Amino acid sequence: MPIDLNYSESQRALRREIREWLQVHVPKKPLPSYDTAEGFAAHREWERTLYSGRWSMVTWPVEYGGRALDLIEWLIFEEEYYRADAPGRVNQNGVFLFGPTLMEYGTPEQRARFLPRLASGEDIWAQVWSEPQAGSDLAALRTTAVRGGDHYVVNGHKIWSTRAVFADWGFGLFRTDPTSERHRGLSYIVFPLDLPGVQVRGIPQLDGESGFAEIFFENARIPVENLVGAEGQGWSIAMATAGFERGLMLRSPARFQRTAQRLLSLACRAELRGDPSIEATVTQCWMDAQAYALSTYMTASRLIAGGSIGAEASLNKVFWSELDLTMHRAAIQLLTARAELRGSVTGDDASELEEVTRWLDGFMFSLAGPIYAGANEIQRNIIAERVLGMPKG
Amino acid sequence: MRFTFDEDQLLAAQSLRDLLDDHCTGADLRRAAEAADGDEYRLACSTRRQRLSELGLATALVSEAQGGLGLKLTDIVLLAEEAGRAALPEPLIETLGVALPLLAELAASDERARAAFAAAMVDESVRVLWSDSSGILDADHARFVVLGEGTQSLELHDIHAGESTAIKSVDPLRRLTRWQSSNGSLIAVINGAEAERAWQLARARARVLAAGQLLGLAERMTSLAVAYALDRKQFGKAIGVNQAVKHQLANVQIKIEFARPVIYAAAAAAESTLVMDKAMRVQRDVRVAHAFVAACDASDLAARTAIQVHGAMGYSWELDLQFYAKRAWALAGLHGGRSGCFRVLHEMLMTAGIEVGPDRVFDNPMPEGA
Repeated sequence: MPIDLNYSESQRALRREIREWLQVHVPKKPLPSYDTAEGFAAHREWERTLYSGRWSMVTWPVEYGGRALDLIEWLIFEEEYYRADAPGRVNQNGVFLFGPTLMEYGTPEQRARFLPRLASGEDIWAQVWSEPQAGSDLAALRTTAVRGGDHYVVNGHKIWSTRAVFADWGFGLFRTDPTSERHRGLSYIVFPLDLPGVQVRGIPQLDGESGFAEIFFENARIPVENLVGAEGQGWSIAMATAGFERGLMLRSPARFQRTAQRLLSLACRAELRGDPSIEATVTQCWMDAQAYALSTYMTASRLIAGGSIGAEASLNKVFWSELDLTMHRAAIQLLTARAELRGSVTGDDASELEEVTRWLDGFMFSLAGPIYAGANEIQRNIIAERVLGMPKG
Repeated sequence: MRFTFDEDQLLAAQSLRDLLDDHCTGADLRRAAEAADGDEYRLACSTRRQRLSELGLATALVSEAQGGLGLKLTDIVLLAEEAGRAALPEPLIETLGVALPLLAELAASDERARAAFAAAMVDESVRVLWSDSSGILDADHARFVVLGEGTQSLELHDIHAGESTAIKSVDPLRRLTRWQSSNGSLIAVINGAEAERAWQLARARARVLAAGQLLGLAERMTSLAVAYALDRKQFGKAIGVNQAVKHQLANVQIKIEFARPVIYAAAAAAESTLVMDKAMRVQRDVRVAHAFVAACDASDLAARTAIQVHGAMGYSWELDLQFYAKRAWALAGLHGGRSGCFRVLHEMLMTAGIEVGPDRVFDNPMPEGA
């Protein structure tokens, strides 16, 4: 069959169904930030609502609460989700990173134990990989998990763990062979964040909220049944997870198309018109958001036809993270002096301030995009070495 | 919804690539570019011309009812990419993708155009002279030329009856002729909405296929630069181990990979020959303009980066890279150029107010009442 860029009748029907459900269920007022206790609880509640409509894990198998949608249908879901300005996914790392990893590497018992609770929002998951001395060079990690009988005894220090302040579970990467070096001797182990010997300390971010945390392990005892895959297989499992993260699902194109749309309508406001350089940037941003969407449709079609995604996932990560930054910077420039205003002022200006604050928060968060999920410098190395075939340094 | 090429499309592209790998090498291009005269040039290209004509692609876009292969633009866009990758000197893509289908459409409504079309189906001897281009490509192999201004009037002329002057392009392999009509050169005038529609469709196809060639050129320049970065040693190691070199080439690859789907989607948007309503035309023009801009940006960065990675060699005539860079520079200025295409998009977004948003990947309607 040749290229066909028209939705099928069933795809259109799915879109209508999603749109109608979201119209009814999306909270009318934006939820507070999920990096606060109150906001985290509200977002967990939203995960439950999504689950009740079977919309929390649309690509997952039906047995785990999903709908077994294919990737094109997932794109349609995401488009409607962002069109509706639905809340951010507090369990994103569980949905897109840990869930798929467990489906690939977990035992049937582990899948039955973790996936339904993940899907329903009962358990919110955090990634626990980085260490103070192991960021881009993740294989330098030193936190040990030493087997003693039916437990691993864990000691060390993890950091930059997103959502960990309020989350329930962590999926971590530990050195189970203390004599090993680099990517050998690592294992992928999950644990409850309130385990004795585990101390979680929030780290305030650029925006003042504690969106990430550092985690201290002091003789924490994790049962061996929490090992995912085999001992020593941690690195390859983690790289598979990183592939999901940089690949298709971490940042769907709809997110950036929604921002591009908001930016365009901001730039078209009569009182902000007239700066040709910013307006050209706005047009370029729409083009890039559109290019990312088309690229994802092409990748999704290829994967549905049996293809796979490899190092080219790094192209996506660089592209969307830099686009997001460019869009928010353009908005800040358009807003001029108003862009420094923050907060929940009430009165006539309230809705405008809310809009300004949204751009400002988005701008600060967009600065993290080129850093998290593998810094863009590392992504460019991957593109050069594994896509273009250039030599390792 | 299926955004992948099928086996037949990929096979057709592969067979053109194989042919050009054999008959359109850097050495072949150099022999043609450095030919002392027209005879030597024709000799340098004759085998390739012969092989290309044996492929039988010339009538690809002409409908089966008119004796062609009845293929679509999405069948052709990968061929354009291959022609670009090889910096093919012959205007194969411009003829099969633009000039011959345009003449076929004119032939449907005009008897004299029909006779010209019948002749051109045999020897591919028709060209288009755009009002904003510098000349006719490869005019000595052509007999007919279509002129138009995007107005409701197209003219079909006999090239030999007009006045021809050879002119030089920055690309030594784009053989341009400045051409003026004369009293005796006019064969037919085709008027009306159909002429305008045919002209706009031809322009859209020309932009998509130029974009496809630019994509192929960008890919070739990138692979030349990567090969050089592996081969060239300084400070005792290949220069390609340096991140300063790697990251530049990674940036080029990003531009290429995010131009590619835009170009392929534009081919799909521009392949309909049906009478389009305003919404469909807007959709086509937006997609096509986007494709051209994205292709220009990718090939421009590829050329600039490939030259830089080659160091002083990159600035030398000796290097074959020049043929690909110069083709990219020449193509990027056609059909309104990057700036003309960007303006189309900019006006659609900032003034005309087409609807955008997450659910509008494949559909950007005009707001009601616009």
